[in-house]
Amino acid sequence: MSIDSGIKWRNPLFVWGGKRDVEELPTIPFRSHKEVWERTRRSTTKLNPVGRLRYYYKWPGHGATMWNRLRYWPTRRRVLRVRGEYNPKTLRAEKTIVDKRPIWWVLGLLALAIAPLFTPGDLQNTLLTAGATFGIYAAISLCWMLIMGTAGVFSLATYAVVGTAAFVTALLAVKFALPWWLLPPIGALVGLVFGGIIALPATRLDGFYYALLTLGLNELCRVYFVTSKEFGSANGGLYGARTYIPEEWSQLGQLLLAYYACFGLMLLALLLYRFVNGRRLGRILRMAPEKREAFAEATGVNFRQARVWVFLVSSAALGFIGGFYTSNFGGVAFSIFNFDTVLLGLAMLVIGGVGRAEGAVVGTLIVVFFDQVLNTWGPARFMIIGLIMLLVVLYLRNGLFGIKAQFRAWRDKKKSERRSTRAEKGGELLPEEATETEDKSVIYQRRHDKMTRDHLKTLVSPEIIEEHRHSLNGQHSEALERLLIYFRTRPQVEKYAIMAVERFEGYRIVALSGHRGVAPRVVEDRIYATPDEACHGVFMRRVQDLLES
Amino acid sequence: MAQIKIFGYADKISVKPGDTIQFHVSADGTSTAEAHLVRLIHGDEHPHGPGFIEEEIDCVANGTWQVEKQFTQVGAFLEATDPDRKLALDGSITLCAFIWPTWPDVGHRQCLLGRWDNDRNHGYGLGINPSGRLEFWVGCGNEIDYLQAELPLQKQAWYFVAATFDARSGRATLYQEGVVNRYNSLLSKVAPVEYRSHVSEMFRFRQNNLPDTPFLVAGSRDWHALRGHFVSQLYCGKIDRCGVFDRALAREELDAIRAGGKPPSDGMVAYWDTTKGYTDRGIGDLVIDIGPNQLDAKGYNRPVRAQTGYNWNGRNDCFRLAPHEYGGIEFHADAMIDSNWKATKTLELPETLRSGAYAMRVRGGDGEGLAEEYIVFFVRPRTPTARIALLFSTATYLAYANERFATDGQIVQPMAGQPPTISEVDIEIYENPEFGAGCYDTHADGAGVCYTSYRRPMVNMRPKYRIAAFDLPWNFPADLSILAWLEHKGYEYDVLTDEDVHLEGVAAMAPYACILNSTHPEYHSERMLDAHEDYIAGGGRFICMGANSFCCNVAFRDDEPWIMECRKTGGHWIAWAARPGEYYLATTGQMGGIWTGFQRWGQKLVGNTFAGEGFAHSQPYRRMPDSYDPALAWITEGIEGEIIGDFGLGNGGAAGIEIDCYKLGFGTPPNTKIIASSGGHPDNYIAHDEEGAHAHQGFSGTHNYILRADMVYFEAPNNGAVFATGSIAFGSALPVNGFENNVSQLLSNVVDAFIRPGPLSGSNTTRKSTAGLERVAP
Repeated sequence: MSIDSGIKWRNPLFVWGGKRDVEELPTIPFRSHKEVWERTRRSTTKLNPVGRLRYYYKWPGHGATMWNRLRYWPTRRRVLRVRGEYNPKTLRAEKTIVDKRPIWWVLGLLALAIAPLFTPGDLQNTLLTAGATFGIYAAISLCWMLIMGTAGVFSLATYAVVGTAAFVTALLAVKFALPWWLLPPIGALVGLVFGGIIALPATRLDGFYYALLTLGLNELCRVYFVTSKEFGSANGGLYGARTYIPEEWSQLGQLLLAYYACFGLMLLALLLYRFVNGRRLGRILRMAPEKREAFAEATGVNFRQARVWVFLVSSAALGFIGGFYTSNFGGVAFSIFNFDTVLLGLAMLVIGGVGRAEGAVVGTLIVVFFDQVLNTWGPARFMIIGLIMLLVVLYLRNGLFGIKAQFRAWRDKKKSERRSTRAEKGGELLPEEATETEDKSVIYQRRHDKMTRDHLKTLVSPEIIEEHRHSLNGQHSEALERLLIYFRTRPQVEKYAIMAVERFEGYRIVALSGHRGVAPRVVEDRIYATPDEACHGVFMRRVQDLLES
Repeated sequence: MAQIKIFGYADKISVKPGDTIQFHVSADGTSTAEAHLVRLIHGDEHPHGPGFIEEEIDCVANGTWQVEKQFTQVGAFLEATDPDRKLALDGSITLCAFIWPTWPDVGHRQCLLGRWDNDRNHGYGLGINPSGRLEFWVGCGNEIDYLQAELPLQKQAWYFVAATFDARSGRATLYQEGVVNRYNSLLSKVAPVEYRSHVSEMFRFRQNNLPDTPFLVAGSRDWHALRGHFVSQLYCGKIDRCGVFDRALAREELDAIRAGGKPPSDGMVAYWDTTKGYTDRGIGDLVIDIGPNQLDAKGYNRPVRAQTGYNWNGRNDCFRLAPHEYGGIEFHADAMIDSNWKATKTLELPETLRSGAYAMRVRGGDGEGLAEEYIVFFVRPRTPTARIALLFSTATYLAYANERFATDGQIVQPMAGQPPTISEVDIEIYENPEFGAGCYDTHADGAGVCYTSYRRPMVNMRPKYRIAAFDLPWNFPADLSILAWLEHKGYEYDVLTDEDVHLEGVAAMAPYACILNSTHPEYHSERMLDAHEDYIAGGGRFICMGANSFCCNVAFRDDEPWIMECRKTGGHWIAWAARPGEYYLATTGQMGGIWTGFQRWGQKLVGNTFAGEGFAHSQPYRRMPDSYDPALAWITEGIEGEIIGDFGLGNGGAAGIEIDCYKLGFGTPPNTKIIASSGGHPDNYIAHDEEGAHAHQGFSGTHNYILRADMVYFEAPNNGAVFATGSIAFGSALPVNGFENNVSQLLSNVVDAFIRPGPLSGSNTTRKSTAGLERVAP
């Protein structure tokens, strides 16, 4: 393009005779800013309804009435985490239950507590047995979850701990005719010792290697117990310990007692989970998630010690469960060390979602249901469990209980994809964004900005750039003046400014932060010799930004 | 090694030889600094001028100083005077206050009132938690129990809030009710906002008080290993009447206080009636306790008083009319009026010191960049000796103190017509709120800064400083060009400051035959303005060197002249606007804003004042017919041609930056002559909106004839006379070409004539003055 388009701008100040005011400069033909507005008005893009519907109920605020809040005695923890807030769209005072899990827990546990009353007669036996098994396995899963989720130690020796404790207690019970109530505490001791031994390498070995090691340990236990005479290598397990279930009771009574005892065990495990994960130890460990350990350590978090503590506590609890296992079943079979037991246990955790108690419990429920209730299906049920696990691993990021967050993220992604196919944004706020915007004037501001930019882009030309170089801050032609007023009135965020490296010697271009107290950032290395050169440099950057926008 | 940074200030700005002055210095990265007393002669380092000139002066303080890092307490708060620890209540308690939070969602805890130790978690407090909700908390050292309100607080809405705690039952209750009327808050009643919240909960323990924790309003005690005790959890917003009771007040009792009733005396420990103690002549820093113990609270960093209260109903616009409606005390977390640093050096000034602009130059390390500080002060003679005085506009320097236009002002680039040129020191003050701001800035919460002081480092007083927004020397550094001109021309002169004129009135000015003021004499208290008027009317000869002169009304307390109050109101030429009903200066009870609002236009004093401003090229003056009047020929004697000042260090001309014009309608004396006027200002110059009631497209330079600098001259009674340049750029044109130029020539003509005893040549007033003020020399 040639510099001279033949059109001249005549300087109104020339008549005053100022030294720097030239008579005329080449400029570009006039272009009305209305073109852009008119073009937009002719647009026929289909416009869809925007905004979100709220499809669930929100409690109103309390207004003038007193809101008496309850706490769990003797803590300062409120019974429900409720947040009062203004509805951002209607300003209505509303209450939101921030964490609804306690409600689901209460409902779920109540359902489990009254479930035996509603079991169909023909399935009663199967279901109550499965229920008891579920209680024990849920307790095991919860302790395992503490190790895997809270402590972040990928241990596969959980069932080895449980099994060892069960076998040792069974042996002691058989040999010394111990009462049933002594078995869980003894089991806990065994678990603690076992846990102490396997905790040592946990501080040294990472992830995969530790999993291998513990799996080997599990296998070692299996081989040891299977081949050991004391532990009944001949009859597939060790039985004969006394149980807490009175033999004189009816079968239903026995089943019910076992069911509620195992349910009670699960409640104890939940309590333990809550106290370890929800209090100091758990919080320390949450500050040191995987791959961030170094940072946590640098800030003074002793996560190694916390891990070992969690590991020891959980191992003792697992031993306790092992003891309980013996006193429940009167003994224990070698199958507890089987690889498929470990895998089923892992499936329980993975299906529910690692790192949360509800994941462990519901995962266990699903697996036990397939394993015990549908046992008429034969080996096919393992395929189903495997399939479920596969699907969970393939499609869910964090088990069943991650579905909600994942679904929302997916929905938002899809929304924005659809939106981007039909909306021409160009700097305007998207309709969906706009409805969520607190200050509605921002929407128009962005529209105005877009229109202005679309027009200004048509004004950038070699003539105008040359005019700016010639007269940085004198009187300007209409086109240049429009560009400059636009550039200068932008908000402070990322707005260009000049930084004096050395007054009258070196200047460079910086961008303002727009945030009080935050220094401008350097945008380029180039040093300009004079403020005027830097000023033109700023103009060129602004023109470039405009054309790229 | 850490970067060396030196900042400092002096406790006085105007001193006389033999006076004692204290220097307060804070240093980063060094423990020693080289100090030297210097006399400042020229500041602007523009390559076309003489550059920076200083003269080293011997004094006992010169040499190596031990310096250290000093900390500054920012934020305004009240501290109750409670020697008997009446407020160390460890049983039942009620805290209540009317509040108007400006920034409830700032994101950190704000303490409204309490006796709370933030470091050791002892005591009790009522505040706003990080989620913006009202919260009451008690601490016993190892644990804190707390209770928060249901809804977040709305900004700029009046609430009555209270927390009651019954120690016997452990029941804590929060009381939050809106007291919004048609005038006092941001929203009216048509907005469906729920302001109420009443929440109750059982606490597990009661508060435990430490003996030395102060009871604070709008902050709480904190501790840091290097700083020791300081105040954090600072509050942004207004607090009206507030109190403490040693029992849990019933809801009906709180309702009664909210309705404006007298607070119950039963159980009252303290009740600060923020409207007590107001006088017709201003409000102090003491907030009176009307309770039985008289635990008056003292303001730190000057909480803003005279603000509208919860019961302001729009009828009255001043605290003098209805004190009970003006109980609002406004707090800002970044308010700062005194660094309160330890004195680094005390100096008794040598008796032989001549009058001038001085600075203690303090350099650490290589003395480059931030490692060099000039602590500026002005030395007046013990008794006036010269016929000329140069009056430095210290009030204006205060108004512009540490301004952050370039970084915070969105409108600065369109105003300046150029991107700002920022230097290292601008970033330093931007990053550190402890330097405080000036009257052109807003607090982080959005309210304008109405108090400024020189008891803190002021980078805009550094002689080489250039204002970032316009890349020009501004105020003091530019004014040094006038001082350098006087030096160069060999005139005998003394210096004066606004502070002297404010404190001593016309007596400070009277001894001089001729007074020149500064390039930008914008801010004046009533007393300063009166002194100027009396000086000129009494036969003084005055040269107004700058522009935007005598525009803004400010106030000082006599006992604390280092703090200036400024309320911005009226027109668009203000950096921020005082809120409705808050136009009056708490310092004096006078209305703030611009002198135009008082029918005291600058034209009435010096013949011209503010026409408009712009920062594109400055222009020359062109002589006007009056200059060819033989009676006035002495002014332009020796000047060839029509054009005056087509050069200058201030954007290349003598007329520009801010320009003043003649206007009979605004009280320009009718005998005023226009010697020369500038013209051809580009559209970047915009006319002052006092020039037209409605804004319109014809407000800019190429359209509006108002936009011009008028160089005016008139004779005043008793042989007095005024010459006014009408341009900020005038002073910066003086040093061009080694002070040999027609601007310099013209000023010499005027000064020579003004200091010559007897009537002015060509003067109509030949009769002998009787009412004239007594001069130093005949």
